[in-house]
Amino acid sequence: MTVIAVEHLSKWYGQVSGLNDVTVTVPSGITGLLGPNGSGKSTFMKLITGQLKPSQGSVRVLDEPIWGNHALYRRIGFCPEQDAFYDRMTGLDWVTALVRLSGVSANDAPGVAARALEAVDLVDAGSKKIGAYSKGMRQRVKLAQAIALDPDLLVLDEPLNGMDPIMRRRTIELIRTWARAGRSVLVSSHVLHEIEALTANILVINNGRIVAEGNVHQIRELIDEHPHTVFIRARESRALARALLADDGVVSVRFEPGAVVIETAKPDAFYTRLTEMAARGEAGAIEEVTSLDDNLQAVFKYLVKS
Amino acid sequence: MTESSLPVTMPPSTSAPPAPTLWSAVARVFELSLGQMLWSRRTIFMAVVLGAPVVLAIVVRIVDASGVTPLRVNGERVGGTTIFGVLLWWLYVRFVVPVLGVFYGTALIADEVEDKTITYLFTRPVPRRAVLIGKYLAYVVCTSLVVLPSLMIVFFLVVPLRDIGPSFLTLLTDLGLLAFGLAVYGALFALVGTVNKRPLVMGLVFAFGFEQVAMLMPGYVRRFTIVYYLQGLVPHAIPSEGITSLLASVFSEVPSAGTCLFWLTFILVGTLALAARAVERREYVLSQ
Repeated sequence: MTVIAVEHLSKWYGQVSGLNDVTVTVPSGITGLLGPNGSGKSTFMKLITGQLKPSQGSVRVLDEPIWGNHALYRRIGFCPEQDAFYDRMTGLDWVTALVRLSGVSANDAPGVAARALEAVDLVDAGSKKIGAYSKGMRQRVKLAQAIALDPDLLVLDEPLNGMDPIMRRRTIELIRTWARAGRSVLVSSHVLHEIEALTANILVINNGRIVAEGNVHQIRELIDEHPHTVFIRARESRALARALLADDGVVSVRFEPGAVVIETAKPDAFYTRLTEMAARGEAGAIEEVTSLDDNLQAVFKYLVKS
Repeated sequence: MTESSLPVTMPPSTSAPPAPTLWSAVARVFELSLGQMLWSRRTIFMAVVLGAPVVLAIVVRIVDASGVTPLRVNGERVGGTTIFGVLLWWLYVRFVVPVLGVFYGTALIADEVEDKTITYLFTRPVPRRAVLIGKYLAYVVCTSLVVLPSLMIVFFLVVPLRDIGPSFLTLLTDLGLLAFGLAVYGALFALVGTVNKRPLVMGLVFAFGFEQVAMLMPGYVRRFTIVYYLQGLVPHAIPSEGITSLLASVFSEVPSAGTCLFWLTFILVGTLALAARAVERREYVLSQ
């Protein structure tokens, strides 16, 4: 079953091309949208969630045109990339308000919101103001508002960005469980490792074009040839760096205030080790993990040329 | 840690609720926006600014109570009721109401775009115009809650006790006038905010450039201002004593109250409808 069908889709921002003549279908289940920053991932997601109008071509979601079709939005959950909130609201109030906007009654909305927060492990922080949340918590509360009404299609724009390793793994499992229940997910990332943990079905996008689609393993080896850069915010960044240096895949280590930036040639092994360390509490608390994508540019350039 | 030790709680399957109707959606956006607006820095700042006429009124009251005439024009004593009328017209109607209209009206959608929170509103199963109308209603209530108490306090401080009874109905008219003025200016600037990339500049130029100049010009130009129709409703509040004759000259050739109400309502409904239409059709590109 096709959940998203776009034909000759282009989007221009004045003279700048955001998406260029894309024709693609997205099947049910989980599909990963992989591409570096500025490749057109967010533009694609905004087009399929009806926020932007195509400059050219058509977009159909769940077999209906999306632009101006606001009734269709109740079947779609969207987690945007931007870190934007009503900071003075608590997480529970915010999700409740958004759930209310989706048509849930005033009586039911707090319960629905609370269950969504529970799903992303934010029950305890539900009564705190979002302005006081960490980056990872803010990611999770965004995810909560997207999944709260059990939509048929979940569109997640870089949902794992900034999450700590434990929550990252937990969120991956949440998304996979979600899809196993028969729903569809389109998730974007600039990190192959993350996409690969979610699905084998990927679309690779660069410079506003879909440059590859199909099985993730086909581009796996290409990605592995390039060092992968990871930014880790940790309370004891030096101790963490010392511990990680024991890994033979680590190519370089650089310190930033309260953080360490590590370049690794073996991202899979690195992330596994990082998650284990976080779970055991080795080298102090890890607050944020963000994958920098500079080195992936080379891979995408290669894909474009090939 | 293995995946089995990471239990995942899924939210129970919820059948999608029916999308809210337009007015139900408006009410929900209103509910969400009012709290945000009331405690915004902009509102707190305006509340402080509106404390200034209250302070002025306290000074007038103290001076008056001490037996000194607070204000004389051409040697003639200016009474409290007249001072109130002057404050109402020059401070509230000509300054406060347009300022609030510009700053809040142009920001109804622009603030959400700038803060990048518009995404959450525009990906809900509600018509986009419901977002605009809900936020607009929140603006009217929020600004009224800031402006009207200030005017009431000024009234009770400045107007002599013996005149409060007879003038009370006039006060209610004045309060209605301010609320209506806020609504009309807000609707106009909501339209400016939805169709223009520099709405604040446009709004300020209109309210403090065009309107000021047009009101001084003879002929029909003033009919393209809001303040021209508002002044047709003001004379109810202006007492007929001394200095009022000076003010009366300003208000010469004003249309009837019925005409003013008609055109103000027309501007309100027309600009709000156009703004709603623009929001439905326009796409908002958030900066990355």
